[in-house]
Amino acid sequence: MASDTWIVGLGEARTAPLLDDVSINELAWEAVAPALGEAGVALAEVTGAVTASQDFWDGRTISSMNVNEVACGAYGSEAKVAADCAQAIGYACARIDDGDQHLNVVVAHAKESEGDAHTIELAAFDPYYERQIDPDETIVAAFQASLLYARGRASAELCARIVAAARARSTVLEPVSVEDVLSSAPTATPLRVLDRAPLMDTAAAMVICCGDRRRRLDRAGVRIVGTATRTGAYWRERADLAATPQAADALREALERADWSLGDVDVLELAAPFAHQHMMLGEALGLGSGEALVERFERGEVNQSGGWLAGSAGSVAGLRAVLAAARRLRDGDGRRALICATSGLAAQSHHVVLLEAGA
Amino acid sequence: MSHGAVRAAIVATGQTDHGRRFDVSMAEIAREAIDRCLASSGLALEDVDAVVAGNMEMFEGIYLVDQLYVGALGALGKPLYKLNTGGTVGASVALACYHLVAAGRHRRVLGVGFQKQSEGSTQAAITTVGDPIWERAVMAGAIGNFASMASTYIAESGVTPEQAAKVAVKARRNACLNPHAHLKMPDITVEEVLASEMLAYPIHRLDMCPASDGACAIVMAAEDAAAALADRPAWVHAVATAHDQQYMGDSPKRLAVMRSLQAASRKAYALAGIEDPLRDFDVAEVYEPATYAELAMCENLGFCPMGAGGKLIDDGVTLIDGSLPVNPSGGVLSTNPVGATAMIRVAEAAMQVMGEAGAHQIPDVTRALATGYGGNAWTDVMILSAERPK
Repeated sequence: MASDTWIVGLGEARTAPLLDDVSINELAWEAVAPALGEAGVALAEVTGAVTASQDFWDGRTISSMNVNEVACGAYGSEAKVAADCAQAIGYACARIDDGDQHLNVVVAHAKESEGDAHTIELAAFDPYYERQIDPDETIVAAFQASLLYARGRASAELCARIVAAARARSTVLEPVSVEDVLSSAPTATPLRVLDRAPLMDTAAAMVICCGDRRRRLDRAGVRIVGTATRTGAYWRERADLAATPQAADALREALERADWSLGDVDVLELAAPFAHQHMMLGEALGLGSGEALVERFERGEVNQSGGWLAGSAGSVAGLRAVLAAARRLRDGDGRRALICATSGLAAQSHHVVLLEAGA
Repeated sequence: MSHGAVRAAIVATGQTDHGRRFDVSMAEIAREAIDRCLASSGLALEDVDAVVAGNMEMFEGIYLVDQLYVGALGALGKPLYKLNTGGTVGASVALACYHLVAAGRHRRVLGVGFQKQSEGSTQAAITTVGDPIWERAVMAGAIGNFASMASTYIAESGVTPEQAAKVAVKARRNACLNPHAHLKMPDITVEEVLASEMLAYPIHRLDMCPASDGACAIVMAAEDAAAALADRPAWVHAVATAHDQQYMGDSPKRLAVMRSLQAASRKAYALAGIEDPLRDFDVAEVYEPATYAELAMCENLGFCPMGAGGKLIDDGVTLIDGSLPVNPSGGVLSTNPVGATAMIRVAEAAMQVMGEAGAHQIPDVTRALATGYGGNAWTDVMILSAERPK
C-alpha cells in the first residue's frame, strides 16, 4: 500500500566542521524555520514530530530534548528514532497514514564537533570481547574495504574517484582530486582519511502532511510513496562483510509498496559515510558495478548532491539526501527518486525512501 | 475509537523476572522476554514482520545497542526500529508497534524494551538528561528532579508524606502478587517508608523506584491476525503522546500541573470515548517513578479533582480491591528496568484485558489505561479494551 504522505517544506541548517555560534536547538531551528516557511505553516500548527539523533553524539540521554520544542512545540507528539533519519521518515509516514498525525516535522541533528568520534564509536563494540583491541567504525570499514578490493569489486582508485566526484559537487567542502585522496593520510589500511566523510555539525528538516492537508495548503509537494528498512547482522557476525543483501531487500519492499520498478527511478541518492560503501550499495541496489558505477557518480546520475561525502553528518545524511532529491523533483528535474541511507557499523542497516513529484 | 486504517491489538506479552540479573547478559535478558512473549501466543520469530526496540544507551554505555544485539532481538534481515525517548521509551515502542500495524505497514510487530541497570550507573546516565550548563549541577538524576517537583506538589496540593507513603506500601504489597516484580515487601508499612533514608527532601528511599534489570516484549497484530493469535486480544482504542518544555523552569509546578499528561490523556480519552475515567476504566497502569508522582498523575488523569490525590489513596480507590486499581502489578515503584518500564505498563494493562495477570488479575476488566513518563515530562498514553473498535 503506497503512502499518502507529502513533503511540503524543506529546510537545511548550515553545515560546517564546527558551528560553535549556535546551540543544538538553535541549529535545529535553522533547519525547521525555513521548512515551515516553505510549507506556509506556523510552528503552532504542527502537531507532532519524528526526530533522529544519537544520545552518544550529544552526550545526553534523550538527545531529542534539545530539539523537540523547535520541532513541534511544547505538548506536541514526538517520537525519536536512534538511526539515520531516513528511517524516521518511514515511521513518520506511518503516523500520518494511520490518521494519528496530519502535519508533522521530521528533523535530524548532529553536532559531531562536540563528541570524540573514536570514544563514541568504540562504545558500539562488545564491551567484553572487542573494546580491548580499541576498534572504531573506520577500522571495521577498513576490513570491509579490504574484502572489496581483494575481490576486485572496488579499488583505492575507484573509491577516490567517488570522493572526488562528491567533493566537486560540495557546497561546504573544498574540491579534491583523485591524487589528493590517494595521498591523504592513511587511517586503517587500505583506507585514507579522505575515504571517509568528515565530521560535521548540521541539521535538516522537512514538513510532511497527509494528502488532504496538502491540498488545503495548496502546495505542489513531493509525495513519499514508499519506505522500507532492513537490518543486517552485526559486523563480525556477517557471513560476508562485503555483502549487503538487506539493502536489496529494503529496496524490493519499497518498490512493491509503490508499485514501481527500479527502471522508473530517475533521481538516485545514496548516503553512506565511506566511499567503498557507495560501491557496495550501488551493486546491491542494481545500479551497476565497478568502473561503470563510478562513472554514474561522476556524471551525477547518482548523488548529484554529492551525498554524505560532500559534507553531512550521522543521523542527518539520509534526510539531506531526501531533501536533495525532493528539491530536484519539485524543480521538475526528475519524476521519481530513490534514496538509500545506511546506519550502523559497516553499513549494517538500510533505509529506503521513494519519492514522486506532485501533480 | 482509534483512528488507525487497520485495527490493531496486543496479542502476546512476555516479561523477564526483573531484579538484579547477574545470570544473564543484555542480549539474553532481551531474548528472555521475547521468547516468553512468543511462547504465549504460539508465534515463532519467523512470524514476526518487524521489530521495534527500546533501550536507553547511556545507562549501559553501549552505542548502537540494537545493531549489536540484532540477532538476540530476532531482527536479522527485518525492519528494526530503535526508539530512544527516555523513561517513556517502552511505551513509545508500543505506540510505534501500533502505528506500524495501524498504517498497514506490517501485520505482526514485535516490540521489546530492555535494560540492565546493574551494568551501568543510573544516576550518571539520568544526570545527562539535564542541560549540561544549567541543570546538571542542581537537579542531578531522577531523585533530584522528583524532589524538586514533589516539593512544589506538596505546596500546591497539601498532600502529606503519609499519603505518599501509602502509595509505596500499595506498590510493594501488590508486587508480591506479581511473579516478575523486583521489590516485593509484604510487610512494608507507612512508618517504614517514612523512616527510610531521606534522599532529597521530601523523597525517602522507599518513595523512589528501584534500578532494575529486565525486559518486556509485546506482539501487536493487525485485525486479520489477532483473532487467531489470542482468545481475548487487547485492542488498541487510542494512543497519544505529548512532551513538556525542555527546561523545568519554563513549565512551573511541573508535577502539580502535568500539562503533557493532561494533553495526551485528554486526546486519548476523546478518541476512545472516555467521559469519566474513574468510571470508564477498570484498571490503570501508570508510570510512577516516585510515590508523589502517582498521586499527581491520578489527579492529572482525571481520576479525582486536582489536589485530591491524597484523599484518593486515603479512600482506597486505587488499591488492588478499590474501584479503580492503579498499578496492581506493583508499578514502577517495584520494578524499573528503564528501557522496559513503560512497556511493562502497556503489557500489564494488556494482561489485565486478556485475563492473563494471574494473582494480580482484576476481575472483569474490559478497559485499561497505560501511561509512560520520562524526561521532558514525556508522556505516552494507550487505552486498551477487550472490545474490538468499531
